[in-house]
Amino acid sequence: MLYIVSLMDKSLKEALMKVMMSDFTPFPLDKSICTGWATNEPRGGRTILYTGCMYQVAPLSAIFDRFIPILSKNRLFYASLLNLAKKFHPDKAALDRSYKILRSISSLLKKNGINFGYMYEGEPYSGAFLLELGMLSDFERYATLVREKFKQQGVKRIITTDPHSHNALSRYSEFITFDIDVVNYMELLREVGIGKKGDFVIHDSCLYSRFLNKREVYRELLKKAGVSFKEDYMVTSKENSLCCGGPLSPIDERVSKRIGEYRANQLKKVSEKVIVQCPFCYVNLSPYVEAYDIAEVIDSE
Amino acid sequence: MNEIWNIAIDRAVNNNVPRVRSILESYPYINDARKKLRQGKTEVIKDISKYVELTIESVKRNGGNAYFARDAKEVREIVDKIVGDNQRIVMGKSMVAYECGVRDHLIERGKDVWETDLGEFLIQLSNEPPSHIIAPAIHMTKEQASKVVRKVNPDSKAESHEEIAVEARKFLREKFINAQVGITGANAIAADTGSVLLIENEGNIRMTTILPEKHIAIAGVEKILPTLEHAFLEVMVQSAYAGLYPPTYVNLTSGPSSTGDIEMKRVSPAHGPKEFNLILVDNGRIEVSKDPTIWESLLCIRCGRCHFHCPVYRVLGSTWGDPPFTGPMGAMWSYVSYKDATPSTYCVHSGGCREVCPMDINIPKVLEKLKSLSQK
Repeated sequence: MLYIVSLMDKSLKEALMKVMMSDFTPFPLDKSICTGWATNEPRGGRTILYTGCMYQVAPLSAIFDRFIPILSKNRLFYASLLNLAKKFHPDKAALDRSYKILRSISSLLKKNGINFGYMYEGEPYSGAFLLELGMLSDFERYATLVREKFKQQGVKRIITTDPHSHNALSRYSEFITFDIDVVNYMELLREVGIGKKGDFVIHDSCLYSRFLNKREVYRELLKKAGVSFKEDYMVTSKENSLCCGGPLSPIDERVSKRIGEYRANQLKKVSEKVIVQCPFCYVNLSPYVEAYDIAEVIDSE
Repeated sequence: MNEIWNIAIDRAVNNNVPRVRSILESYPYINDARKKLRQGKTEVIKDISKYVELTIESVKRNGGNAYFARDAKEVREIVDKIVGDNQRIVMGKSMVAYECGVRDHLIERGKDVWETDLGEFLIQLSNEPPSHIIAPAIHMTKEQASKVVRKVNPDSKAESHEEIAVEARKFLREKFINAQVGITGANAIAADTGSVLLIENEGNIRMTTILPEKHIAIAGVEKILPTLEHAFLEVMVQSAYAGLYPPTYVNLTSGPSSTGDIEMKRVSPAHGPKEFNLILVDNGRIEVSKDPTIWESLLCIRCGRCHFHCPVYRVLGSTWGDPPFTGPMGAMWSYVSYKDATPSTYCVHSGGCREVCPMDINIPKVLEKLKSLSQK
């Protein structure tokens, strides 16, 4: 079979790394997209709410993924093409939705008495996709810079909002010395809002469920909110639930979408209404099912 | 192709996954067995050369011949020497033989060679690569299989699973009886006794190892275990995790056939083969055994369970990996045997493979390392 990853050659990877190391974004990006959700959040602090720009950038990810092959064919124009990427904007409705989710997470944390700040345009991307593409030495190089950013701001504790950032930051200590506490927002919630009505099925984030031991954390939150969800051994068990295909999107978008559709068809056999905990799972599954982020379900008011 | 694959894989998953779960619940001692097996396999992988020597000594002590082959070419050369002028050969599904191109090589040399495992027989007839490590024709629906068997019997009316199996049985009986050489793989090899263990359900391996005058077992060096006790654990664990427990047959071969019935003097041959040959294959394994991350791929016992819990395999099937190595284990083994790291780039780190692996291989971690190698 054709392994499309080979399209992303060494010089393109270097060009992308250069942008990442100067702008601290996953891709050349207008930073106001990342910060637009926050209006009254305190700036900085020892404990920060960390978005990694993941919810905000997820609706743009498909456009970026399609952009990579174009870049690969235009090596002489990397610089101008990468600048062009900074003009890409997500669909307004999709961006508003992701902002609403982040505001909901912030509000839930505050209701639970958790104090935090936000780094706004100074928030560095975690480097998750470097890790996921196996660019391990680049990940290590980048993590060193991110650590300095956090240190400069006096950050001692990071509250993550998505599985990819949480996984990447949790794994920094495998590569570099990293003594900042990383915790996920769901672990800090003792009280939740009023749950959404309906019969749901959970699509587990692979990282949360099988790598980060969070599977029961969000199940408990759903129970607390009174959300009704069905389990099915062949569809939702730890060993049988499948990926949404999202991580394959930068490598092979066609196969990524096939996996998303395959997974959606499995979920639909249990329920049409699907709860996700990851912005990329949402992007990959929502064309086929009625998908909701967990923050939209445990705080439906 | 996609539609047929989707039907075939869904049928296989729905037949297999609940059955494995039920087996593991019914026979809880399998859980202890797999842990002890991992220890035994680790011991050998950390010192392969020593265990190759021990195994060769033990096989010779039993009156058999044992060889060490560095690569696929050496395997084919050794097979040629053993086969000699013999023409009629039956094979009992050896993925290492496939890896080393043994069947095609013998056919090219004008030999009459037949795969006798039903799945392997079907893919030989359809001239396709295997799509799963223990169910090589998993990509075929029964409707396709019924068409394929018409290649050996154009009048065949076989449609059901049972009728297709009977059609293969009728054709292959004569091949078994007249075969001069039988070639198998090995599920496990005991270094202390030189015994080769093979599990199966069809009876084809038993006939392949017993009826011809010469038996050749071809196996990777990672199949060696320190003791016969470990080797028995391997066949229990492999068959349980493959969803085929208890296996219908377990074949143990320690050298050529023999008898001690006259004055208790052990002489050879008796009714079975006159000659037993074991070929231990390196083909990249020893190099990999030294890598601090990738070495774990050698722990694989080839139960094929990881395939069914992997979203990429569920969608791509045999097109993911270098045959016979498909699925998550195949993405690892494409590198071990062929030094091809590109299949790893399709891993979505779903992690289902690690959840279900009886050897607790951290497959996503191995594939992450291979992804990094593929960048270089």
